Parts: sequence; structure tokens; C-alpha cells
Amino acid sequence: MRILVVDDSATMRRIIIKALNTTGFNDITEAEDGEDALTKLEGIDLLLTDWNMPVMDGLSMVKEIRRNASFANLPIMMITSQAAKKEVIEALKNGVNDYIVKPFTPATLVEKVQALSAK
Amino acid sequence: MDVKYINPFINAVVTTFETMIGLSIDRLDPFIKTHATAQGDISGIIGYASKDIIGSVALTFPEGTALEIYRLMMGEVVNDINEEVKDTVGELANIVAGTAKNEFSNLEISYHISIPTVVVGKNHTISHKGSVPVVVIPFQMTNFKFFMEISMKLNSVTSVSQRMRAKMQTA
Repeated sequence: MRILVVDDSATMRRIIIKALNTTGFNDITEAEDGEDALTKLEGIDLLLTDWNMPVMDGLSMVKEIRRNASFANLPIMMITSQAAKKEVIEALKNGVNDYIVKPFTPATLVEKVQALSAK
Repeated sequence: MDVKYINPFINAVVTTFETMIGLSIDRLDPFIKTHATAQGDISGIIGYASKDIIGSVALTFPEGTALEIYRLMMGEVVNDINEEVKDTVGELANIVAGTAKNEFSNLEISYHISIPTVVVGKNHTISHKGSVPVVVIPFQMTNFKFFMEISMKLNSVTSVSQRMRAKMQTA
């Protein structure tokens, strides 16, 4: 399974990747923002993304991805500190499949990724 | 500044550190900042704004605290503030501002947050949004101390209160 991790924070990307590596998810690509991620979608099986990023934020990126029929079924998980009810609803409405709220524990992340990747 | 508007930030710091670093931290007595110089050597600053509220929040760490936090979060010892430590501090500020935002939504207040900026250096200054007093909240993390600075200007206290009252009446 190839996973694309999108976050402008290298620290957060490392924390996410480290957690994924512990459970055997080793084929991971990184992107620094939404625009960067759009160029790295080919062959990706699961996408994990931050919301608040420079250049192109996570929600704009998700909208762009869902406009392309080739990626209509790509599982997308938002990992963000923005978790007011209306934001979660907005993300889900626009094609996000699942949501993790920062701060999170590695165990929560792994559990959610395993559940989403099994669908 | 009403304490109910400060608490979401305090709770966000406690939750963020407990979850991401695995440490419980203690809040010490707050005070009003009287000069522009930061208490720490590295600060992550993030602005927030909406029609209801405008302000900024900064997490400022003495060098030793920042290096310890990096060690605890990343499992790696570094001896100086480098790009990775700067990124970690910026991300912590980002998470705190975002987490506080979720609690603010219970007060019928929403805001957008900016991308964090990080400033490094002895005696650096922090420019906060709005010409309002800056509240400093010290935190103790084992033997290490750090500080949160908050500036906040409520643009429409009355309308926020009115909305809350209306919500309670219809509940």
C-alpha cells in the first residue's frame, strides 16, 4: 500500500511516518502542501493530509482531487487541529473519508489508517 | 480579558503536551506582559481572526526547553536550535491555536488561523495583533519552563453574548 502524507510541517510528517512504519506501512511519499501533493497522486492508495497549509490548503486539494474521476475512490484522511463541528462536516462533504484531530496519539492514527485501508 | 476566553488556549496547551509529548504540565500564575521582549529563545507565533475576535498566540521556549521537547517528541537529541526544532515549535503553536478554536466554537466564536511563524534569538521580540494587553501564562514541564503569550480583542462582545443567550433560550 502506497501512502501519501501531506503536511507543511516536517516534524508532523516524521511523526506520522514513524507511527505508520511501526505497523508495516513503509511505502510512503511525502508532500509539503496541496499543490505538491497533486503532482504525487499517481499510484497512491491512501492519502493523509493536514488542512492548514501554505500554497494550497488541504481542503482545496481534496476538492481538486475529487474533481478528477481517476481519484474518485482514493481514501483520504484529514489530520488537523481544526475540528469544530462545521469544519468536520465541510471536510466530509467535500470528499474526506475520515478525520483525525491533532493532537493525536500514534495508536489512534494507526488504528484509523488500518480501518480506512481495509475498506 | 475574561478568563473564559483564555481557558481554551490553556486547555489546548495542556492537551497538546499530554498527547504529543506524554507529559502532564502545570500552569503557573499568569501576568501581564510589560515589554516586547519574549521570555524564551524561540517562539512560535500564530494569528487568529474573524468578525468576532482578533489576536495572536505565541508559545515561547527557553532553548533548553525547546531541545527537551524536541527530544521527547522526535526521540532524537540535538544540541542547538536547528530547522527541525523550529518546525516543531511552529507546529506546536499551530496545534494549540487549532485546538483552542474547537473550544471557542462552544462559545459561539469562530476564527481563522494563520500559518505559524517562528522567531529565534536571545531577547527577540514578539509583535502581537491589536493594541491590547498581552497576557503571559507560564507552564512548568518537569524541570523546564515555557510561556504562552495571548493577545485578544473581541470585536463584538455584545453580539456574541446575545447569540449565546439566544441559543440557551432555544435549547
